[in-house]
This record gives sequence, structure tokens and C-alpha cells, in this order.
Amino acid sequence: MMHTLFNWVLNHPKSTLLFLLFMTGLAVGQMRHLHIETDVDAMLPKHSDAYLNKQILEDRFGSSDLVIIGIINEKDGIYTPENLALVQELTDWLGEQELFRTLSLNDLLSLATIKDIKGTEDGLDVELFMDGVPETQEGIHQLKQRMHDFAIYEDVIVSKDGTGTIFAVRPLPDSRDKYADIYELVQKKVTELEGRYHNNKFFVSGRPVIEGVFGMYMPEEMKRMQPMIMILLVLLLYVSFRTTRGVLLPLIGVLMAEIWTLGTMAALGINIYTITTMLPILIMAIGIADAVHFLSRERLLAHQDHFKERKERVIEVMHELWKPMVMTSVTTGVGFLSMLSSDLPPIREFGVFAAVGIVYALLISMLLFPAALMILKDQPAKGQRKPMFSHYVDWSSQVILNYPKQIMAFFLVLMIISVVGLTKLTVDASMIEQFKPNDPLRQADMALNQHFSGTTSLDIMIDTGKKDGLLEPEFLQHLVDLQTEIEKDPVVGDTSSIAEFLVMMNQALHADDPAYHVVPASSELAAQYLLLYSFSGAPDDFETFMTGDYRHAHVRINMKTDGTEAVARLLENLGEKTSVWFPESEGFKVEWAGTGFTLHRLAEMIISGQIASLLLSVLSIFLLCWWMFKRLRVAFIAMIPVSLAVTVNYGTMGSFGIPLDIATALTGAMALGIGVDFAIHYLHRYHEEQVANHSDVESVLNTNRSVGHAILFNTIVVVGGFLVLLSAALYPQMKLGALIAATMVVCYLATVYLFPVLLVLGQKRDVS
Amino acid sequence: MKHKGILVLAAFFLFSSPTLATELSGLDVMKQVELRNDGQDLTQKMTQRLIDRRGNVRERHMMSFSKDYGLDSKSVTYFLEPANVRDTAMLTWDYAAESKDDDQWLYLPALKKVRRISSSDRGDYFMGTDFTFEDIKKTPELGDYHWTLLREEILDGFDVWVVEAKPKTKELERNLGYSKVEYFVRKDILMYVRVDFWDRKGKALKQLLSTGIQKIDGIWTATAGVMTNTQTQHRTELTFSEHRYNQGLADRTFSERMIKRGYRGQ
Repeated sequence: MMHTLFNWVLNHPKSTLLFLLFMTGLAVGQMRHLHIETDVDAMLPKHSDAYLNKQILEDRFGSSDLVIIGIINEKDGIYTPENLALVQELTDWLGEQELFRTLSLNDLLSLATIKDIKGTEDGLDVELFMDGVPETQEGIHQLKQRMHDFAIYEDVIVSKDGTGTIFAVRPLPDSRDKYADIYELVQKKVTELEGRYHNNKFFVSGRPVIEGVFGMYMPEEMKRMQPMIMILLVLLLYVSFRTTRGVLLPLIGVLMAEIWTLGTMAALGINIYTITTMLPILIMAIGIADAVHFLSRERLLAHQDHFKERKERVIEVMHELWKPMVMTSVTTGVGFLSMLSSDLPPIREFGVFAAVGIVYALLISMLLFPAALMILKDQPAKGQRKPMFSHYVDWSSQVILNYPKQIMAFFLVLMIISVVGLTKLTVDASMIEQFKPNDPLRQADMALNQHFSGTTSLDIMIDTGKKDGLLEPEFLQHLVDLQTEIEKDPVVGDTSSIAEFLVMMNQALHADDPAYHVVPASSELAAQYLLLYSFSGAPDDFETFMTGDYRHAHVRINMKTDGTEAVARLLENLGEKTSVWFPESEGFKVEWAGTGFTLHRLAEMIISGQIASLLLSVLSIFLLCWWMFKRLRVAFIAMIPVSLAVTVNYGTMGSFGIPLDIATALTGAMALGIGVDFAIHYLHRYHEEQVANHSDVESVLNTNRSVGHAILFNTIVVVGGFLVLLSAALYPQMKLGALIAATMVVCYLATVYLFPVLLVLGQKRDVS
Repeated sequence: MKHKGILVLAAFFLFSSPTLATELSGLDVMKQVELRNDGQDLTQKMTQRLIDRRGNVRERHMMSFSKDYGLDSKSVTYFLEPANVRDTAMLTWDYAAESKDDDQWLYLPALKKVRRISSSDRGDYFMGTDFTFEDIKKTPELGDYHWTLLREEILDGFDVWVVEAKPKTKELERNLGYSKVEYFVRKDILMYVRVDFWDRKGKALKQLLSTGIQKIDGIWTATAGVMTNTQTQHRTELTFSEHRYNQGLADRTFSERMIKRGYRGQ
């Protein structure tokens, strides 16, 4: 069947090329539909509680994803006429922007919008802390005093030491595609303000900003890194082939595979996530191997001049290569498909489309190169040229034969060190740590977390099970207890709920007597306070803390980090307490949501998916090898370099404190998928040598000379391709690039140095 | 009935034609609205339904008494339902003079105390409804707006004037929360039946529709109204019933002592 295909291609080279071009054109046409997804919630499966609760949260209480702008003035503080005027100006400006929803108090929080609840001799006063900029020093002093007395907004809106203040503003609902615009808009305004207020530092962060910047970085990164990798490929190919076609054909091949893959994703409506931006690099790095194998074999045969007709020659190349090419593609593809065992759509889709890309690369190689060689003028074989790295390859053969014990010892030590490192491996799904430490956004976020209550939201929604349920004194007291408990955690900057406002009102209506700084004594009292409040406050002042039927309450938690360990700790500590305070048997239901919770679930799924996909990958590649080589022992040996490489990979992460995250989690399966190709090529050739009745030493030497050489080139391409990622603006890409590069080196070393030692040792044992 | 309506309209046009001839202005229309007879005092039952965008309803039943004192007015409202605010009562003294803030007291039965409510901005929302303090007045402060008669049209079969109001200053605009308001005033009864509001960004914000308009005790009365916030999808439905005009309500009805005593039927 393969022969029929080869013959058809060789007899109809033009049709074949036209077909390839047509498909490529089709894919290019689709590519403009590619959609970039930066929403971390979209990275969760749709059935995940974090995903569902987030929808409920937004529906019931409004989104807790706010743009945060901080102003810090270490010298004079925020309570100066100029800075208060600045607060007013920026608040007014934010209120006028179309991209924000500024209908209620909680849509735009700033020193100029928050309200004071104050007890007066005969009533309750709800009024703006700052109704216009205070004109006298006395007025400013009063404002400062009132802010301090009214503890709810301390550190939330104004830092305790009075050096800084925050603006928190809510983007329009469902305007995620505008987040990048929002960031640019705010940044522009801030730059303008910085020009006028030299002593103030401005910081912009918050989840919409983080996602917006991601959305801006991602396409830029793809555009920037693509040419870098192509230049690298051109260089490597030129060094190898020194002909125009030797450079251009493989390049066109991998580009086509890349375009087809992206086109397919676009046509199927698959989202581009941060990690997906690495897919083109991966496809290039893997796809180039097929091209290099094909062209170098053809040149070798041309040089040997066994075939009169170039058609016969090309047929021979295809005949020799289709099997290993298909085999390596299948094993690599299966390695990536094992990512399907993850629950996370970005990882699943990455795996599937890496596999699709590999299949495309294989198909394109088998069609493009024969067809192109038939059409292009036949090039005469050049004089014998010593292959590159021959000296090194010969040297390596000597090392293998002379120092088998040392080699074993080296890998054993490497293994032990890695296993030790493995025990220290952590997981984290932080968004902000995906930016480099010196990235302005990360700096801003750090500054904001230092001075204020925290930029990461974590939310608890409590359903009391009945209308007016949250007015009950017992429930309100438990809300207070819950907040007190949560605020004990050092990473929690602040918590807020309706309970603390009712406590303020209770005190205010008892002539500010501190003895009444407790929850209202009865449900009726709470209802009447809220009614009273509604005469001077706005109807939606509390919409973010409770629903209109007083059934659902919302506790908002501000955290100073989006690291997932802290959330895991909080959840564990609170689980038992909440089940006592809000028992399910009495109709209560406690649900978590928010960015912190989403990232926590993400981290959990990264771990579970990681273990599952690695096991699946190892197992399926092992079974494939067993089936291909028909020998259990060879299949076992085939798994050794990759298993070692994967262990070293995670061990290195553990040792260097690189946590597993959504990007680094891919490294294991990627290393397996790519690395197993080395093993297959090597074992295939070694097997042939043995069949040809060569001695063990001869077999090692011959295999090393031919396959060892190809693997080295392959390693250089993959390592080079992934090292380009070191120039990335985002951390995940950098880390992944470095890790894959390092892992591939280990994989190469294990294949070329450890394999022969193991094979020869094993062989000896077999003989004895 | 229909026949009668046309007669009334015809009579009205005959009567008002001289005014039209001298180019009626927007302000003229609103002045007529302000001067419309709405009785000396009024007792009525009121139902408030606050409906959020998800369809959750919060319902309140109230009994209200009001009485004019020249251009000033006083009113008392007793809450009947829900149970947890029953017997809560609100007393309001509304002064026409711009220099004097309105007085408002609330009696909280759970606290057994009368509490004074701080004077609110006119743009502040009232009791959790979609009405601001400005909206619940019979007519807005005419001097604070530029009035323009935009057009005349037919709305639900009635001839109406469409009058535009724009706050005179930026400060007022901020205070009121509106950049523009349009009143649809029925020519026959000098009552606005629809009001459209635009927020300070110039986007459509709210719409008020008055319905169930009928003559009670010889006074034109809207028995239902719905204010919809088109941005938040929150709306407030008001229905009024058991109207009694000009009962000669006693002055002491509008005192702190009376709201403490609570509503005992009447």
C-alpha cells in the first residue's frame, strides 16, 4: 500500500505539490479565526466547582475581578490637598470611562466614593468620607481621623500609615476581550499623571490587568520567537547540507506543518492559551527530524551512486525510512495524547494538537520531499565530506567501550540526586509569578500587596437556605467568627462581609457606644438597620455582600499572594469550622470561588493530571515498543533513557525550587514523547547490526556512527529551539524552554552512552 | 367612554389654544404640571416591588398619608409588611425653599427609637428603589434645569408634549446623576406618563412609566408606576390603592409621637 502511495507521489509530483499548497492556503485562511484565551477560569473544565462557582458569584454578587490602581507617596503621604485632588480627579476620570461599569459603590471604590456610617446624636449618617476635596487643613485632618476610626476601609482603600491609596474599578461584564485595551487606557492615564505628580508612584494591577497583559504578550511573543527559531534552523540546516534546497525544503515542510496545525485549531474553534504559544516551536523541533533523516539519507545514497535513476533512489529512501518515521511519530504522538488524561483543557488541547502537528509533519515529509526532489534539478553528489562532529562521535565510542562502569556510576548518581530533588517538588498555579521578577506588572503587584490588603480575590458564598436568613444574629456572629479566623492567616490582608457593616450600624445607632460594636441583637433590628441605611445609602451599596432576598451572603477575602499553597492551607483549616458554623443539616451551603480558589483547583488538577498522564504515557510507549521490537527486554531498555530524563527533569525542578505549573507540567510528557524517538532509532539500528551478525563492539560503533550522529543533530535542533524560549517575556515559556533543553541533553546522553553499556551488559548476561 | 375622552380633549384644546399661539415653552409646560391639582391631602395604600435582574422580588406594603402646607408638604408612611420591618414608620417634612433641607425621621420598632435620617443628595436612591429623592417629587426643581419643548407626539393614543430637561451646571449634573431627562406630558391632564433618564456618561439609564391613570375624587391619579434601570436591569414597581383625597387629615398625624404609636388602621 505504501508503495502505491510512493509511486503515485513520484509520478504526480506537481499534483502532490499543488495539493500541499492548496491545503496550506486553506489553513492560512482559517488562521485569522484564532482566539486567544487569557481567562484562567477558562483553563478549568466546565464541570469544575471553581468554574461553576465563579459564574454563580458573578451572577449573585458581581465580579470580584477589579482593576487596581495604587498611588503611593512615601514623602508626604496621601492626605495632602494635591493628592486628595488627584484622588478626586482619577475617580472622576474612571467614572467617565466607557470600559468600566460604574453604577454602584462596589463598581468603583476609592477614597472619593466610599461612605462613612456615622452615629449622630439622634440618628444615622451615611455620607461620603470625601465629598469634594477638603479645603482646609482641619478638613483633611478630620478625613484622616474618620478613615482611621472606620476600620473597614483601612488598608483596603488607604494604607494604615497613610502613604498610599487604592482605586478599584470593575470592567463591564463580559468584556474580557477588552482587558488589553483597559490596561492601555489606564496605563496611558497613569503615565500622564506621573508627569504631573512627581513625588507619587503609581501602580496598576488586578486580574483584568494581568489577563490583559497576557493577552498582549502572547501574540507578540509568537511573532517575535518564530523568526528566531527559523534563523536557528536555517543555520543548522545550512551547516548540515550546504545547499539551498537542503535549507529551504525542511523549512517549508515544518512551516507547513505548523500552519496546518494552527489552521485546524482555528477551524475547530480551539483557544490559544499561554502554553499553546509553544506549540509551533514544538512542531518545528520535532518535524525537522523527519526532514533531516530524509534528505541526508537521499544525499548519502546519491553519493554511493547505487541507483541509476533518481526516482529509484528516492523510492529506496522512502522504503527505508517510512517505517522508523511512522514509528517515531506514533510513539511521540502517543506520548502527547497521554495529556488527554489531564482535566485541564489547555493541557489536553496542547497534547492533541501536538499529536496532530506531528502527524501533519510526517504526512508533509512523505509528500513534499519526494515530490520536490522529482521536480527540482537533480544535484550531483558532492565529494565525500567528513560528517560534522565525527571526531566527537568517535571519541564518544571510545568512552563507551572503555568506561562502562563510570558511565553506569554517573547515571546512578544523577538518578539519586534527581530522586532527592523529586521529593522537594512543589506545585503552584500563580498567575503573577508567570511574569519575570523585574516585569513592571509584577513589581506593581508586589508594591500593592506590600502597602494594601492584597490584589488576589478569594470568595466564600454562604447560602443560608432561607429568605432573610442572613439577618439572624447567630449567623451574623458566625460570619464575624469566620472573618476573624481567616484574618489570622498572614497572607490574608482583609476580609469583608455584610456582618461588619451591620456591626458598624449597630454601634452608630447606639450613639457610637463601643459596647454595641457587635452584631444586631435580632433579625428585625438588622432588617430595620438596612431599611434605615437605604434612606441615605444607595440601594446597591451592599449588593456585593448579599442578595436582595437576604438569603445569600458573600465574604470577600483579599490575599497578598496568588500562590496556591496559601489557599490550600486556608481551605484545610476552615473546612471543619465552617461545617460547624454553617451546618448543612440546617440548610446552609458554603461554596468557595474567586481567583484564589480557581488557581487552587488548577494546581490540584495539574498534579493529578500530571501523574495520570505520565503513567499513561510511559505505559503506552512501553507497549508500543514491545509491539514494535517484539521483545520485552528491548522494550524495557527503550524506556530507560526517557524515564531517567523525566526523573531528572522533575528532580531538577525540585532542587531549584521551580514549581509545577501549567507550563512546566508539560515537560514530562514532552520529554518522553521526543526522547523516545532517540531510543527507537538507536535500538532499531542496533538490532539491524546484530541481525547482520556484527559483534557487540562493532554494533555499538556502527550504531553510534550512524544513528548517534543523527540523534546528536536532532538534540541540537530541539535544544536550540527550546532555548529560544529563554528570551520569552513570560516565565512559563522560559522555564519550560530551559527544562526541555536540559532534559533533552540528559536523554541524549542516556541514549548514546547508557544504552550501549546496558545492551552489551545484558547481552553478556544472556550469553552466560 | 372613548367618546367622552375626545370631548374632554376637545374642550382642553379649545381652552388652551391661546397659550399655544404664543409659542409654548418647555418651562411653561412644566409649570402647568407643577400647578396641577393633586388634592390637599391624600391617604393611600402603597405596594413596592423591587425586582432584580435575576427576577428576585422584594415586596413591601405601606400605608401613607400626606398633606400640603402651602408649597411645603408633610407625609407619614407606615410599613405593614414584611414582618421584620412592620411598624417602622417614616415622617417627612418637605420644604419648598431651596435653602432648607428636608426633615426626615424614621421610627425603628426593634430599637424603640425615632431616628433622624441625614439629609440626602437629590440624586441619592430612595429606600432601595430605583427612584431617587428627586424622582419622587411631584415635579423637579424647575429652576435647576434648562427646559426645551422638543416635540409633540402621540403616546399610547394620547397627545403629549416631550420636554427635555438638562441640569444647568456640572455641579447639579453630578448631584442629580443625570445628564438629561425627557418628560412625556399628557396634554389633557397635565401629568407626565413617561420619563426617560440619561446618566452622566450620556447613556440611557432609566425609564419611568405611569399607568392605570384614572380620576379619583375628581383628581387625576396614576395608580401604578414602574421605574426600570436599563443598565442594571433592576426595576421598581409601585401600585397605589385605597385612595382618599381631601380627608382633612389632622396636623398631629405628622408628628414624631404619632409615628411611635404606629398605624392602627383608620
